[in-house]
Amino acid sequence: MKKRILMGASLAVALFNFTAHAAMLWSPAPAKHGHGGHDRHAAKSYLLHDGAGASIQLINPKLNAMPMTAEQGRVSVKAMGMDNYHALVATRSDGSHHESAVRYVYMFGKPSGESPSLLMGHEKAALELEPAPYAREHWRYLTSTDALFILRFKGDPVAFADVKMTTGNGTRLEFKSDAEGRLSIPLPEDFPAVKPGRMGNRPAEFVLSATHESNGKTFATTFSADYHINPDHWQSTPLGLAVVGGGMLLGGLITWRSRRRKEKK
Amino acid sequence: MPLWKNLSVIRKVVQLLAFLFLVYGSVFVGFYSADKLSGAFPALACAYDAKTADYCVLIPLQHQLGHLLGPAINAGAFGLSVIMPILTTLGTFLILFVLLNKTFCGWLCPLGFFQEVLGMIGQKLRLNRTESLDDKLVDRIRPAKWLMLGLLVILLPLASGLGFVGHELGDPFCKICPSRILTSLFAGQLNQLYIDTSSVGFMILSIIADLLFGLILVLSLTMRQPFCRICPLLAMHALFRKVGLVKLVKNYTSRCDKCGLCAKACPMDIREIHTSKEKDILMPDCTLCGRCVEFCPDKGVMAMKYAVIPIIVSDPQYFKARNKAQKAWEGRQKPSRRSNKA
Repeated sequence: MKKRILMGASLAVALFNFTAHAAMLWSPAPAKHGHGGHDRHAAKSYLLHDGAGASIQLINPKLNAMPMTAEQGRVSVKAMGMDNYHALVATRSDGSHHESAVRYVYMFGKPSGESPSLLMGHEKAALELEPAPYAREHWRYLTSTDALFILRFKGDPVAFADVKMTTGNGTRLEFKSDAEGRLSIPLPEDFPAVKPGRMGNRPAEFVLSATHESNGKTFATTFSADYHINPDHWQSTPLGLAVVGGGMLLGGLITWRSRRRKEKK
Repeated sequence: MPLWKNLSVIRKVVQLLAFLFLVYGSVFVGFYSADKLSGAFPALACAYDAKTADYCVLIPLQHQLGHLLGPAINAGAFGLSVIMPILTTLGTFLILFVLLNKTFCGWLCPLGFFQEVLGMIGQKLRLNRTESLDDKLVDRIRPAKWLMLGLLVILLPLASGLGFVGHELGDPFCKICPSRILTSLFAGQLNQLYIDTSSVGFMILSIIADLLFGLILVLSLTMRQPFCRICPLLAMHALFRKVGLVKLVKNYTSRCDKCGLCAKACPMDIREIHTSKEKDILMPDCTLCGRCVEFCPDKGVMAMKYAVIPIIVSDPQYFKARNKAQKAWEGRQKPSRRSNKA
């Protein structure tokens, strides 16, 4: 319990450190009382950093939006009875500067009957980093793999724009979108310690931020998600190939023996 | 015999199309699960294949038993939120299964098709094939599919959810399923072919998976459909086979006892089909491939039907043409070296 609170606090400190100079963003909130256990319908809490004055909404897979309120920057997302990805969106505007922060949250419930493509492609803010695609079930954002996005402004791709990435493990990198607004972000191998097995390693956060100017107005957006250590650290393909080879030899042996037995008969 | 009249050729074309769709289909139906067909497909299509169009019913079933039912029993909170997802999975499976029955095995399963293709390669490589397994061996293998379903799909995931065994055994069938390795390899991924060294449990499961895959690669060359005989989906299909609309029926005649060509043609070595006097001969091990009907020489004795509509009925003329086509296919091969020696 104490360990979890400590880890949550250090995650918040780490995020504060790398967001101090950045825009509004979402991160998972450290657990208040233990953790939600394995209850898939338990509420999930998120912190909105630098989000004073922002309006918040949760958009479900059918694109119905529900206004949310933050208490000391903390938002509790409860299961709304609908399965699949929901978008937690914070927006703020002072007339000339428009900001947004987006995070996708998986909620359990009845099948929505809608594809997450609908929610990902839906315009949630003027400037937006659209996952293309988002890491779906049985897949996650992993170190040493590329996360793909499209930077869009009012639905249109933004070409050759600068996008910054910061991670909870201290990596800071910059990327540029291509002519179609596409971004391929290599997730860094920056975890300080690797334990064997997925359960032994907690994920870290990565945040992408982009800005854009149009008609004298500035737009800023962030996308945040967690990423995990690549299982290549404890899963060996060469060994796997060797065992498949062993299985093939065994198969050959079984075939040869059954043939010999038949010939003897 | 024209190819378009040959049921086995038609089946191979359907199998190929199903294989392409189930392995690469997300290109057409989208990347996310909700874009897919069902999320509870009654054949071994795998969610670990990044391009899959749908995934196997055994995946949600194991997860729901392990992550929902087990913890709910532990907590004493057994409500609709626990039972509904399981009923939705089984209901989806059942709707599809009623429509096509066991043809999911014989006509649509990617792993079944792969084994049959390997068998054809084995024939062309002139390997000495075992056309029918020994009766005693068949009898010994048959209970394995029930063990796979009971132990790997139901009991161990549930025991993991209840906390009796480790989380390694939360989805043990997926961990050893050869279709996971096969379909992800065909999708261009090597990431499912591994030995996991993170714990003893994961290591044992990954060794079993890779050994099984290697075994299937070799055994399929000389034996008909080795994995299908122990597949837990074959057992799950067997439980519901009476509700499916596709039927395999027989009008027993006294000639059946002497003939036995249907049993010889059966890739699953179901010898009972030629001795059975029952009308409904859809046996637990049947994959509804239809070969028994094709190779029955008597008019109207065997038939595959969709509800009451006949799909194929045994016919002496079809039998003659099919037999000729089979001999032509086999005749193009030179006899195997071992046969020469004999």
